[in-house]
Amino acid sequence: MEKEQLKQQLKQQIIQFLNLTNVKPEDIKDDQPLFGEGLGLDSIDSIELIVLLSREYGISIQDPKEGRKVLVDINTMVDYIIQHRTK
Amino acid sequence: MDLEEIVVHLFSPPRNTSTNLTTTTGSNFKSQISNHFMFIHYNNCISTQQTFEKTDLEILHETVDNKLKAIEPSYEGIPPGILRRMGKAVRMGVGCALPALQEASQANGIIIGTANGGMEDCIRFLNQIIDYEEGMLTPGNFVQSTPNAIAAQLGLMTRNKQYNITHVHRGLAFENALLDAMMKLRELPDAIYLLAAVDEISDYNYNIDYLDGWYKKEPVKSKDLYSASTTGSLAGEGAATFIVNNREANAVACIKGIQTLHTTNENTVKQACSEFLSKHLKPGEKPDICITGENGDSRMLKYYSAVESVFDEATTIARFKHMSGEFPTASAIALWLACNLHSLPAHCIKKQGTVKHAENIIIYNHYKGSQHAFIWVQRLEKIKPGLH
Repeated sequence: MEKEQLKQQLKQQIIQFLNLTNVKPEDIKDDQPLFGEGLGLDSIDSIELIVLLSREYGISIQDPKEGRKVLVDINTMVDYIIQHRTK
Repeated sequence: MDLEEIVVHLFSPPRNTSTNLTTTTGSNFKSQISNHFMFIHYNNCISTQQTFEKTDLEILHETVDNKLKAIEPSYEGIPPGILRRMGKAVRMGVGCALPALQEASQANGIIIGTANGGMEDCIRFLNQIIDYEEGMLTPGNFVQSTPNAIAAQLGLMTRNKQYNITHVHRGLAFENALLDAMMKLRELPDAIYLLAAVDEISDYNYNIDYLDGWYKKEPVKSKDLYSASTTGSLAGEGAATFIVNNREANAVACIKGIQTLHTTNENTVKQACSEFLSKHLKPGEKPDICITGENGDSRMLKYYSAVESVFDEATTIARFKHMSGEFPTASAIALWLACNLHSLPAHCIKKQGTVKHAENIIIYNHYKGSQHAFIWVQRLEKIKPGLH
């Protein structure tokens, strides 16, 4: 899958998993921070994102420090998925 | 002595004061009677009709697939980040109660009655366990799925760290919450409580109850509910909230008595109704209006007929389940209607009584023919029933 396609797919999955009913994929910029002032996600959402990576891409993030580096924005997530996906 | 009786005895003064008693008549008849007066001030309702913010009950919102679904507001008081995680029951409960808690920011407790809480989220969570083979699960559905999530969310959002409890006694969940509020107000006479009830239609509950015959098989419109001679009712959902305390000033209504009983015998229900009336009404006094939970189920009509037979031509008989649908805490909608009797439309009136005003209101409801409750409400504003 092309990287751009993967980004679009990931955005749709984030909207679905986090029930972001008022957000469209095009509203999420690739370099927009997911947490804090960006998309406004919080700590419970971070667990939902880790579950998303596990279910959809077979990626298990065990180390919280690693999670902080991965769950920064769409770009960092997609890069990590490309390197570590098992499905 | 069972737990129910123990609780009543614990919170009761000695019998000879006649302020609270527990009666047991026969093996299937247990009741609680409390006549501590509790005043209702602010009240709010999210239901299957237009009852939130602007009330209009003249236009009857119809069923879809024999379900009456709640008309939900935009929930502007709930932050979007929290709202998106909420299931329907939590949304309705919190959305209905938040304006009330703004009116009573110093509430001494939050008392909720719900039979099922967020059942839809609960089933979603349980299905995840199966779908993902007990692997990694998302916390959102779990957090929202417990019945006490509504009271907990309210406590967190309003930073109310006081008494916080959820009653889950199926068809008597609201009545037990109401009884709890009355007992708490007897303990703490200056306190103020948020009392609420909420239940949602979940696919799981609907399907189980449908297969068990509690919902109609054939399509039935709301306005035709009582003329249908078949079994089952229409599914409903909703939330109602009340701010209660012991102060009469500015109150809209007063709860003067409540009685719950478990029985399947209509004669026992009739006897309980007669005793309830004779206990609470003065000699010669008659209830002005009786709001019953008649739900169009031909098997359940005998209970409502038994209760209606206790009243004479003076008392108006009104029904509300064609508006709310059937759900375990529907009696809270009836109590909200009693508080807002000026909004009672003509399509609710089953029999117009001869009384000229509606002050003494009896609410009778039962759930699945076994959990019955009578609530005596006294309106503090006299109006004419059914003549609006």
